[in-house]
Amino acid sequence: MNAVNSAILDARIGWLILALFSMVWVALGWYWGRHAKKLDDYVLAGRGVGLALGTATAMATWVTSNTTMAAPQLAFQMGIWGMLGYSLGSVGLLMFAPLAHRIRRLMPNGYTSGDFVRIRYGNTAWRVFLAISLFYSLGWLVSMGMAGGILIHALTGIPYHYGMTVILTICVAYTLLGGFRAVIGTDFIQALLILSGLVVIAFLAIEKVGFDEIHQTVLEERPELLNLMMPAAIMFLFNNLLFGVGEIFHSNVWWSRAFSFRPGVGFKAYTLAGVLWAPIPVVAGFVALATPALNLNVPAADMVGPMVAAKILGVTGAVLVLIMVFSALSSSLDSLLAATSILVVEDIYRRHFKPHASASEMRRATSWIIVGLGVLTWLLCAPRLTTLAELLYFTGAFVASTIWPIAAGLFWRRVNPTGAIAGMVLGSAAGLYGYFAIGFYVAALVGAAVSMACVLLSTWLAPRMFDWETLNETHPAQMEAP
Amino acid sequence: MIISSGALEILVLAALVVTVIAPILLLGLLIRDWKRGHLW
Repeated sequence: MNAVNSAILDARIGWLILALFSMVWVALGWYWGRHAKKLDDYVLAGRGVGLALGTATAMATWVTSNTTMAAPQLAFQMGIWGMLGYSLGSVGLLMFAPLAHRIRRLMPNGYTSGDFVRIRYGNTAWRVFLAISLFYSLGWLVSMGMAGGILIHALTGIPYHYGMTVILTICVAYTLLGGFRAVIGTDFIQALLILSGLVVIAFLAIEKVGFDEIHQTVLEERPELLNLMMPAAIMFLFNNLLFGVGEIFHSNVWWSRAFSFRPGVGFKAYTLAGVLWAPIPVVAGFVALATPALNLNVPAADMVGPMVAAKILGVTGAVLVLIMVFSALSSSLDSLLAATSILVVEDIYRRHFKPHASASEMRRATSWIIVGLGVLTWLLCAPRLTTLAELLYFTGAFVASTIWPIAAGLFWRRVNPTGAIAGMVLGSAAGLYGYFAIGFYVAALVGAAVSMACVLLSTWLAPRMFDWETLNETHPAQMEAP
Repeated sequence: MIISSGALEILVLAALVVTVIAPILLLGLLIRDWKRGHLW
């Protein structure tokens, strides 16, 4: 079906909304970033982020375009378990809460998750970890960039390349201007927009259709969606849980937040973000169950959410969905640009090429890397290869293999580098085997299980005591003149 | 094993209540942090 003909919103309204929000984000980015001259101010918002902004940024970043679009799609395809399975993504945020507290305490001057792996396990493990982390970051960036172009095209008819270019340019612009303060400041507003839009659409679905009618029509037309014993969906549930935990535990997106929070905030912020995030896929997914009651003919499952919203609320519903999707995409893209840029600067530029780089040189390099990442993402998104969009799912095996080396390494003094390296390498290989031999829904499961076995076995066979104090290393920013 | 209409209603309403409270809670925390000078 031609998306331009089936778009639920006029392209002119689409352009107007994109222009309006783009101006707001860029203006806020400039305003919040105008005093961020020092490295820590620019990349970690001065390391004093409070509970409100901390919670909102963790929540908004985890609400990707997948949450607002794929949760209804999964409810439409897998029913109740699709909704609940997606909401288990919150377990990653909840489990990261104690890690965030410990990261901030052990590494008060840290910058990246790479810093931890390098000091804790040495250079080989660090390089393996960097390969996994950068591969995953690029996969997430490309999938978000492509999702931006595809969703804006489907919602408004605006050509893919225009939509993709706009979303990438805007996110690069305000992240470049405002650094991490722009990221978390806009994340707060984006979180409010996403939550408010979702509440309005769900309330109106209940008001206009009603629970009983939604339940009755689903029961008549697609009873399997209400079945609590759907095996494929239950398998998806556990894989999604482990994929989410792996993504959060290793990624610098979440570590950089832990470094940026005021002492004592990390645990509370991640716990609260997990609790507040969990119901979002349930509410978004429920909207999709109204499809049979509304007599909607859905041409593509991933468009079910916007179509229900447009049917219930007309143009207002479509506008709400576009704002929610734009907010969800921006809140993830800006976080990825900021976190990946400091990962590249600290772990590649400084540690591999310029060990004596000053804080101001690193600050400048971060700006260049943000622009470079934006250009690279655009180049990879431009051919619109669907295989690239699926790259993120492919990374499930890799990220799940980092769960044990990270979590055990943070809390368990005796874990040794060999176990961490074997966990990441063999876990990734086994996860990939599971991905191709069985299916995508077991990749993270297998990767995490093999990695766990490697870490536990090697620690039992050759325990090595680690001195936690070594994690507190001095950094150029500390030597800067005040 | 099919979920009943009542159970579905409870599940969705519970999720919706948290989703309604979330922005109010975030704004409340923002005002508290701002008053304490703990915004960022």
